[in-house]
Amino acid sequence: MADYKAPLQDIRFVMNEVFEAEQLWGSLAGTKDAVDMETADAILEEAGKITATLLAPLSREADEEGCHFDNGKVTVPNGFVEAYQTFAEGGWSGLTGNPIYEGMGMPKMLGAQYEEMLYSADISFGLYVCLTSGAALAIDAHASEELKQKYLPKMYSGEWTGAMDLTEPHSGTDLGMIRTKAEPNADGSYSVTGTKIFITGGENNLTDNIIHLVLAKLPDAPAGSKGISLFLVPRNSVDENGVVGENNNVSCGSIEHKMGIKASATCVMNFDGAKGWLVGEVNKGLAAMFTMMNYERLSVGIQGFAAAERSYQNAREYALDRIQGRSANGPVSAEKQADPIIVHADVRRMLLTMKAYTEGSRAFSTYVARYLDIAKFSDDAEQIKAAEAMVALLTPIAKAYMTDRALDSCIAGQQVFGGHGFIREWGQEQLVRDTRITQIYEGTNGIQAMDLMGRKIVGNGGKLFEMFAKEVSDFIESESENAALSGMLQQLAAALSRLSDATEAVIAASQNDADAVGAAAVEYLDLFGLTAYGYMWAKMVKVAAPKAEQDIFYANKVKTAKFFFSRLLPKTVSLLECIKSGSADMMELEAENF
Amino acid sequence: MPDYKAPLRDIKFLMDEVLDSETHYQNIGAEDASPDMVEAIVAEGAKFCEEVLAPINQSGDQEGCTWSEDGVKTPAGFKEAYQQFVEGGWPAMNAPVEHGGQGLPESINIVLSELIGTANWSWGMYPGLSHGARATIEEHGTPEQQKTYLTKLVSGEWTGTMCLTEPQCGSDLGILTTKAEPNADGSYNITGTKIFISAGEHDMVDNIVHIVLARLPGAPEGTKGISLFIVPKHLPDAEGNAGERNTVTCGSIEHKMGIHGNATCVMNFDAAKGWLIGPENKGLNCMFTFMNVARIGTSIQGLAAAEGSFQGALAYAKERQAMRSLTGPKNPEGKADPIIVHPDVRRMLLTQKAISEGSRAMIYHAAQVADVVQHGEGDAQKAADDLLGFMTPILKAFCTEAGYEAANHGMQVFGGHGFIQEWGMEQIVRDTRIALMYEGTTGIQALDLLGRKVLMTQGASLRNFTKIVHKFCQENEGNEQLKPFVGTLNTLNKEWGDITMKVGMTAMQNRDEVGAASVDFLMYSGYVCLAYYWALMAKVAQEKLAAGTTEEGFYTSKVQTAKFYFDRILPRTAAHAAMIANGGESIMAVEEENFAF
Repeated sequence: MADYKAPLQDIRFVMNEVFEAEQLWGSLAGTKDAVDMETADAILEEAGKITATLLAPLSREADEEGCHFDNGKVTVPNGFVEAYQTFAEGGWSGLTGNPIYEGMGMPKMLGAQYEEMLYSADISFGLYVCLTSGAALAIDAHASEELKQKYLPKMYSGEWTGAMDLTEPHSGTDLGMIRTKAEPNADGSYSVTGTKIFITGGENNLTDNIIHLVLAKLPDAPAGSKGISLFLVPRNSVDENGVVGENNNVSCGSIEHKMGIKASATCVMNFDGAKGWLVGEVNKGLAAMFTMMNYERLSVGIQGFAAAERSYQNAREYALDRIQGRSANGPVSAEKQADPIIVHADVRRMLLTMKAYTEGSRAFSTYVARYLDIAKFSDDAEQIKAAEAMVALLTPIAKAYMTDRALDSCIAGQQVFGGHGFIREWGQEQLVRDTRITQIYEGTNGIQAMDLMGRKIVGNGGKLFEMFAKEVSDFIESESENAALSGMLQQLAAALSRLSDATEAVIAASQNDADAVGAAAVEYLDLFGLTAYGYMWAKMVKVAAPKAEQDIFYANKVKTAKFFFSRLLPKTVSLLECIKSGSADMMELEAENF
Repeated sequence: MPDYKAPLRDIKFLMDEVLDSETHYQNIGAEDASPDMVEAIVAEGAKFCEEVLAPINQSGDQEGCTWSEDGVKTPAGFKEAYQQFVEGGWPAMNAPVEHGGQGLPESINIVLSELIGTANWSWGMYPGLSHGARATIEEHGTPEQQKTYLTKLVSGEWTGTMCLTEPQCGSDLGILTTKAEPNADGSYNITGTKIFISAGEHDMVDNIVHIVLARLPGAPEGTKGISLFIVPKHLPDAEGNAGERNTVTCGSIEHKMGIHGNATCVMNFDAAKGWLIGPENKGLNCMFTFMNVARIGTSIQGLAAAEGSFQGALAYAKERQAMRSLTGPKNPEGKADPIIVHPDVRRMLLTQKAISEGSRAMIYHAAQVADVVQHGEGDAQKAADDLLGFMTPILKAFCTEAGYEAANHGMQVFGGHGFIQEWGMEQIVRDTRIALMYEGTTGIQALDLLGRKVLMTQGASLRNFTKIVHKFCQENEGNEQLKPFVGTLNTLNKEWGDITMKVGMTAMQNRDEVGAASVDFLMYSGYVCLAYYWALMAKVAQEKLAAGTTEEGFYTSKVQTAKFYFDRILPRTAAHAAMIANGGESIMAVEEENFAF
């Protein structure tokens, strides 16, 4: 396995040059006095350092060792406790946390870059830290002042970790069916009882308390998703001075044996009259979760391409090192028995596919994070509304498209290694296993596609799509004289027009076919993602092309963009064709005739 | 773990109704293989696979193989299952009668391989790997070598391996360094290290016969200096039994992503005694004689993955309840509908079904072609050999790529549970991943297809298949019901030739264009091949429906799945065609050192 090296040059390129972080943060009410570029850059530098030197070397062994479960106690792999201490001391759990409660208040555009490096180093470890930030986000947005005062500072400082407890054995995608119940106590607290499964980091030995956010139903709650409330349930009770006390009837029943992220404890959690406090309003639990959902879903998308970045670094090193066969155009390393496999066109195709998707994803996640920042830090109501709309539209794509392409990339990175890719010690197969879950949790990619196609597109007659389409069209128009972009803009325009056709076709079909949305959803999301990446690549070329002659880094950007447009974007043609064929092919076959 | 049920109805549909095995077996002089006989064999094999092999698949994955200096221990139950397999006479089924076999055609063995592979791929590799050794000795061994080794390999008393890969050489066998030095008695001392030797060492049999690629002193460099040697683990004694231990040992086994039940061995040959088989320096040529059949064997892993994963996902999708159908509740008495009502779940299931049944049709057809290669004569044999040569890389690479996709869909249908080991769905994904790498990676197969097969013959190799498709389209031109299939198929069949011409032209200017187009070309080819098989199956099914049948559901589902394939999967050809047309410039433009900063 190659040593992980944080791709800081590309991160800075995307954040500073393509998305002009300095101008943005300088213009937003909430960031202009709080964030300075020097600090931001120092944070990137430091994140690159600790992820590469402290965490990345633990990843392979941690996968082999996995988590241990013994009579309710979970022990994380060797080295994790110490590494966690360093992260906690560095305040990383509170990087984007609310400064009022001792968070660092950094924007998401910066947080996204940090998360990438963290997840590249090890997804399993990253989950403990990021789920804490996610839980803190929900508490910050919806909990009472008292709860915030009591819990947030210790979560931001990493002294406690957090977990999200949604899924139950019979209800995953369909949360309306959950059974965990919450009964009010006289003191304003609730007794929470039920079993939750698939709780990432639900139990661990990293910290002396774990703060669970639990979805449960009040005794008289309406049926279905409108009767769900959110509760804060600490594993151990916390007294008024913040001192951790007895176990709060929260216990871990077992941990799952999984395909990947073995170093992350996936727990069955039993709540047996555990004392909890309502977060947000009664029966509005799902809505409260959704505030953090956009962040979490972006975060899962980042996990995907972060793993793909690691896989790419390994594959590239291997392709330069491994000699096998001769170049089709005659020997390149004549002094050796064979040429390095990077001379072979098909190996390059795989590497460039990884590179184009990964760098495209980095740009896309930064693009989405930028809208999250505008929505959070702007004081202009119009601007906030527009940014929130874009976040709503782009989030399912960020989650699903980034993870789908990440799996493709990790598989390609494994393939470059030939048979060695199947062997654990090289690390490539672990990245495939670890990435596979990102397509499933936080709402499967099928669910993301339904969210996009149903709620975000058809649900408002294509209005959100038009916002996006206008942004891309405006870009195409404004760059129409830019020679460096000429061929690419045409292809981007063609992809956008296919996406527009698909949007119209599905909206029309959905008028009299309820299944039209579900039938088109996954391919539509793919088509949207590809088009959005085309836009990202065009934006990157716009910045890179003028500097291409002076600096090979920029020249390389342009070359990778060319590969994207010539060898990846053409998939839009096939996708449109599939979408247009409608739902009949999927619905006609009787269930018993499968 | 999903229960495995051998897809007997679909097998019968293909063998009897689509591929007319009865006539085929008569034509190759295998009249014994009557439909009844084949059905009986398959049913018996299915029972063994369902009852003996499938139940030890997941436990085999969890336990894995154990290495010690004394050898490799296979997971619990593997050895006993193998004994039952041998007692049942299964290894001998497709072997020549003169070596103790039953002389049945390879195509029947292929069906059995599918059942074994779906039930337990890791286990199936132990008997499966004997094939290469057996074929080598059968085709190139001296009568004495055949006498010593074949009978025992055929009976299954011994197993065999092929020892090709070395640490520094996998795809590029020209750089292998294992050497063979002649002894006075006509034998050779073989010295070197081989890696990734599947079933190189295990506890199921008392002898393992390795076929080893090595170089003689003074052999030419590269692939033209490779010879084949028989190196048994135990030297046969005077009675032909496993005797003195030879100096070949297993140094370690690999820790892998999947196929944990199969031992992937590092084999050390330390002046091990071996015997030349076939002519000196012609080792690779000798191997190519049976490579096609071996690669059909690997393609089955894709089919097995698709079928096994489909069975698991389908059962789950009918049982698991979440949300309501968007067209109104389908299970009003329950709290939610079974997830099979949701279009996207159906999309995944239908993709699996289309891949599984389409691949089965293509593989079974190829198996018949292989029968003709083995038992036919003259022009027919030559034609079959050419056709099989074209189909082989597509079978190997496309069926495994598509099967891997299908396995991932199956896991996705399970949502979060798919990631949990006890459900068995993730094991299928892990086990199948290797199929895209061993026996020549997808990239190597694609180069073989486009470079060696299609372009080297100026397209003649491709025409072996396009003429079959063309004939089908012509014959069914007026068939109204088949119209949606035939029209598209005809167009693609022509486009296939056009693409080939264009790539051929650009490749004359720049050899890198072959590699740049190859995988897209292979995938394009695979999708068109499957389109042909689906059209063929749709035709048969429509005829049955028209004639009246009690199995309306079965035949209707064939037509509907064909339609799904044409509408929702086949359009992928458009993207592959466009990518090929865009050429390799952008692939070759980035300097090696600039791939990262």
